[in-house]
Amino acid sequence: MKARVLHESDVLSIVDILRQRGYEVLAPFRGHGRDTYFDTVTDLNRNQIQIHLPNPYYPPKRFVFPHIERLMKAEGSQGDLRIRPTYEAPKRAIFGIRSCDLAGIYHLDRFFLGREHSDIYYEKRRRNLLLVNLVCTDPERDIGKECFCMCADTGPAARDHFDLQLMDLGGEFMAVAGTSAGEALLANPIFRKGTDEHIARRRAILERLRTHFESTNTSWFSAAVRYVSQGKVSDKTWEEIGQRCLECGGCTYVCPACTCFTVADRQVGPNEVERVRVWDSCALGGFTRMAGGFNPRRAVHDRRNRRFFRKSSHYFIQRELSMACVGCGRCAAVCHGDIGMPTVVEMIRRASAQAEAR
Amino acid sequence: MAHQLTTCTYCGVGCGLYLETADNQVIGAYPSVSHPANQGRICVRGWHVHEIASSPQRLKKPLLRKNRTLQEVDWDEAFGFVATRLKQIRDSYGPDAIAFLNSPRCSNEDTYLLQKLARAVIGTNNVDQGSGVFCNNSIDVLLDMIGVPAATTSIADLAHSDAIVVDGVDLGRRLPTIGGAVIRAKLRGARLIVIGTRRHRVAENADMFLQIQPGTEVTLYGAMAKVILDRGLLDLAFIKARCRNYENFLQQVREYDLLQAAETCGVSAEGIEQAAVAYANARAATVLYSTSMEARSRETIRAVVNLVLLTGNLGKPGAGILALSEQNNLQGVCDMGMLPGHLPGYKPVDDPPARAQLESLWNTKLPASPGLHARSLLANGDNRQLKALWMCHYDPASAAGVEEARGLFEDFKLVVSQQLFITNAARYVDVVLPTTAYGEEEVSFTSTERRIQLAQKVIQPAPGLMPVWQQVTRIAQLMGARWNYATAADVMEEIGQAVPFYSGASYENLAREYGRQWPCTKDQPLGTRYLFGDNANGNSFSFAAVPMPPQASLPEEFPFRLFFGSSLYYWTQDVLVRHSETLKREYRILWLDYPEGFVEINSEDAKRLGVRDGQSITLRTAGGSSQAVARVTPEVMSGTIFVPYFLREVEKKIWNSAVDRNQPVPVRVEKGAA
Amino acid sequence: MRATEQNVYLPKPAVLERVLPEIPEVKTFYWHFEDAEEQQAFRKFRPGQFAQVSLFGVGEFPASLPSSPGEEETFFTIRKVGSCTSALDELQPGQKFAVRGPYGNGFPMEDYYGKDLVFVAGGIGLIPLRSCIVYALQHRKYYDRIQIFYGAKTPQELMYMPNLREWEQSAGVECFLTVDRPDAGWTGDVGVVGRLFSKPGVQVAVENSTVFVCGPPVMFRFVIKDLLAMGCEEKNIVSTLERYMKCGVGKCGHCCIGVAYVCVDGPVFTYQQIKKLGEEI
Repeated sequence: MKARVLHESDVLSIVDILRQRGYEVLAPFRGHGRDTYFDTVTDLNRNQIQIHLPNPYYPPKRFVFPHIERLMKAEGSQGDLRIRPTYEAPKRAIFGIRSCDLAGIYHLDRFFLGREHSDIYYEKRRRNLLLVNLVCTDPERDIGKECFCMCADTGPAARDHFDLQLMDLGGEFMAVAGTSAGEALLANPIFRKGTDEHIARRRAILERLRTHFESTNTSWFSAAVRYVSQGKVSDKTWEEIGQRCLECGGCTYVCPACTCFTVADRQVGPNEVERVRVWDSCALGGFTRMAGGFNPRRAVHDRRNRRFFRKSSHYFIQRELSMACVGCGRCAAVCHGDIGMPTVVEMIRRASAQAEAR
Repeated sequence: MAHQLTTCTYCGVGCGLYLETADNQVIGAYPSVSHPANQGRICVRGWHVHEIASSPQRLKKPLLRKNRTLQEVDWDEAFGFVATRLKQIRDSYGPDAIAFLNSPRCSNEDTYLLQKLARAVIGTNNVDQGSGVFCNNSIDVLLDMIGVPAATTSIADLAHSDAIVVDGVDLGRRLPTIGGAVIRAKLRGARLIVIGTRRHRVAENADMFLQIQPGTEVTLYGAMAKVILDRGLLDLAFIKARCRNYENFLQQVREYDLLQAAETCGVSAEGIEQAAVAYANARAATVLYSTSMEARSRETIRAVVNLVLLTGNLGKPGAGILALSEQNNLQGVCDMGMLPGHLPGYKPVDDPPARAQLESLWNTKLPASPGLHARSLLANGDNRQLKALWMCHYDPASAAGVEEARGLFEDFKLVVSQQLFITNAARYVDVVLPTTAYGEEEVSFTSTERRIQLAQKVIQPAPGLMPVWQQVTRIAQLMGARWNYATAADVMEEIGQAVPFYSGASYENLAREYGRQWPCTKDQPLGTRYLFGDNANGNSFSFAAVPMPPQASLPEEFPFRLFFGSSLYYWTQDVLVRHSETLKREYRILWLDYPEGFVEINSEDAKRLGVRDGQSITLRTAGGSSQAVARVTPEVMSGTIFVPYFLREVEKKIWNSAVDRNQPVPVRVEKGAA
Repeated sequence: MRATEQNVYLPKPAVLERVLPEIPEVKTFYWHFEDAEEQQAFRKFRPGQFAQVSLFGVGEFPASLPSSPGEEETFFTIRKVGSCTSALDELQPGQKFAVRGPYGNGFPMEDYYGKDLVFVAGGIGLIPLRSCIVYALQHRKYYDRIQIFYGAKTPQELMYMPNLREWEQSAGVECFLTVDRPDAGWTGDVGVVGRLFSKPGVQVAVENSTVFVCGPPVMFRFVIKDLLAMGCEEKNIVSTLERYMKCGVGKCGHCCIGVAYVCVDGPVFTYQQIKKLGEEI
């Protein structure tokens, strides 16, 4: 990997360069209060781009796997039926994607492009996407109280899956290229050669950051993964978890690694139908209900169990060679009943400790 | 792409959410982390709000009945027709021949101008919001006892409550964001007391779940008051300083007997005692009840407020009453005076000074006699004098306890309907005026915690479509009124003059953060998180004596208590749900499982009677009988039969013949069809 | 990332040829792809696989393929249960809908060479098994005995009767039918399908055999119990599972149970596998 450094004041020039090269650049902005979001950079908002801020809550996975996406149109009249796929794959760059979300996109790559069937819609968007990763270094602004990338081994500094990685060293940023596309960017004169001192600084910052993660619940994360994988979590624990689920679907929608969707047809003209796919959630009662009424996961705790099994069992980690939990902590922030991943890990730990005590 | 903070309009919580748009389409939705009401959470409805936004079935042009069929016409023709016809009817039959109904989903601006059209241009107080069938109990009692007909506290302040009482309403399904706030408060250590007949998700999380016989809330609260008195847990300082009618109340409470109450309610005396002590010992306690579908009787609400006053749970953070409006703008619609007996700001219509104030603002004389209630108009068919009806986003088919409205309106000279889609009502309306929808207009709504907030325009509507308030303005102008509102903000400007507690709620102020909680005045522009915090105005609260209800014993031949309530089953009727694929799937589950509707019976009772899930049963009362399909579930209490509203057959044959619709009906359950 | 241009979600127009009623609420729909090449490619499916059927404007649903790859005609046999199947039911011959597939693992028919084949079906559970039966008869020399045990609620609800009568006549095929509620004309066996196993003269092939079981959940549970009691090995019992499905290609997530995506890892599973999935069947 090739590394360079650049001055703090030049960081947003990367956005300019990308825009000049025809990319639609998505970057983080501030909304009201603590709200933040990824939005398209324009001449007007370019100076409002934020480098350090709470990771936007609406995950950037939607740039490859949109909340709602048209798959095809079908036209039918007088016994004729014409079906036309509809692709949309703008040339895009995400500037400032965090390491956890990067791991999320890698997971989606494994899932949508791996195994016997590849998803062409995802593939087209993904092939046109460039990722400029930003390492979370500011304990106040970057690292949320629910973050546990340390336990999920995805951050704060991603080791791969980015085109270009930026890290704030204080006054200067280190830029690392992860692909040839990223390397091509480094040719710009804003990038200078780094020194050993820069590398030492990078190491020191990352070392210090380890102490800034508040959530201690997730220290048992890997053990919880083992317990879930081996089916050692009791039904009673799942019932306790399920009892607090209000079935909103939020945890799955904000999850950078959740992939489930449903497909629906909508009439758009007298003889025209569009088929769309929208994010779906295993938390919802209708997710598994079959025509005719049989629902294998009618009970809410079965559905919770399902989510955590799918996310953290060894079987699926091996199947995708990637874990469907990236430690971003969003599910904890979005949950009405406080049963995001960190709490669930803690509930499993507590239940196991109690079982041992008996 | 663009991101805009706006307000979710599904329910009364008023969650803050962002809409993401591109190419004039809503492509995504997600919650605001910082909005005080929802703090990063929304429910399944909010997460799928973008699916509805662009339904191709939307009406785009006005429809006018010509030769018995509705035909597309241009806007001028439609407006002209309505104005002329309204004038003719007013002149021939008098202003009280015209009535206006709107939905508790309508915006403040739409509602304010609609009732102004009725009162100031037509000259009638025949205005009501469609759910008036339910909610006015709470308005009347709260006005009477604490002087303000609204929640006294805030959703976020639940985090400061040490005890929370949830009465009846299934928060997890109806107002999930509040359900979540309650569960999280409990996890942080608040004592959660759930009172009600049906078991639901929040009840599963309760420290104490008092599963009581239907209709026995008054007895329960009376007994709790008795326990508090007996143990000296009352807040005497608060009572002395701020309350009236304490003596009368005291006298009445002494009549309550704990053991007898326990028997009536079907719970243990210890349970009542524990709940009373937990509530009274809390530094700050909140009570939640619904003012909408699961509405409580006046007596019940009085009994609740008595408890609040007795323990001094008003005017401090985390203490108070959360009277829940389930529809997104039920609070605002009432604030705006869409009530037959109240002007904007809840001043009685027969109060001359209040009228005079508005008369000078509106520059006209106002009618002094109260108008017709929605209930008497629709359910009782008490509309002989009526010749015209204006329905704003209102569909009688969605009102519980109301028969098919078709027959009621057939003889009318004019029925106007403002709608997004063709509804059942289209069969008898004369004019349909399609309007802009959520996301296509900037208007304000007032949530259940008195939060006046903006719903933003994020996409352009189809050409010609305009908000309700603009259509009302056009028609008022055609009828000779000199109205002049260029924007919704102009309307809010005038609302600020008509409703004192909105006087600081300019659009500029509302847009700054996350709306403002009223009272939001010029002196207090940041709004009010909880009411009665300062005693400067010498607020005076009044106890209301509630006599102990007679112990209703069941006749041997009718051993079950049948009661009505809301169920998700009929959410399939909701316009917003119908046009989102995911919500349609979720809310249709029950409907698909029980295509003919159902009544709920406890699993144990069903086992004993040999009734299987999905089987037909006959419900027999002293006055009649009805058939229904049984849904066997542990959610209802043993000895009770739960009937969802809108199960027309049972409504017609049992509810309508019941002596008191607020009381459970004694019934017998027989296997099979009669 | 490997580059492909194949759109797995895109169905191809198909023409409905004719419709034959089977039993109440169940009909067989004969169809072919509009495009002849498409039709050729599709016909290479394996018994036990399924296809996604599209009625644009209503939606898409998975349907098993009851025909055998060797048969001339392609068809679906479908029970009217939801909005999609109702929409198909309303289609007139000559009208178009759309199909994609085949999907799923299918039965590994080669693995069963040299074995006895036992088919146990209840009600419309015969639909997915029909393909295997026809396949086995077409490749008769590779298999030993063939036994068919089939039960339905009433005689009117016995499916594929002409086929059953024909199969019965084939050499080395034993066919046993039963109904729960006989009518006046019924002279055959009465009772659940498992009762046939203990019928005098019946010797269920449980050694060196593959047992196919398909039917409603209750029937499934009882038949499995009986088979295991007779000494049948769990790995020799095979079935196909049904789940709510949106994509058919392992992406939408709806059909995922335990460690398996029914659409790509199934729908054919051995009972040994099913047991481990840990969810109601």
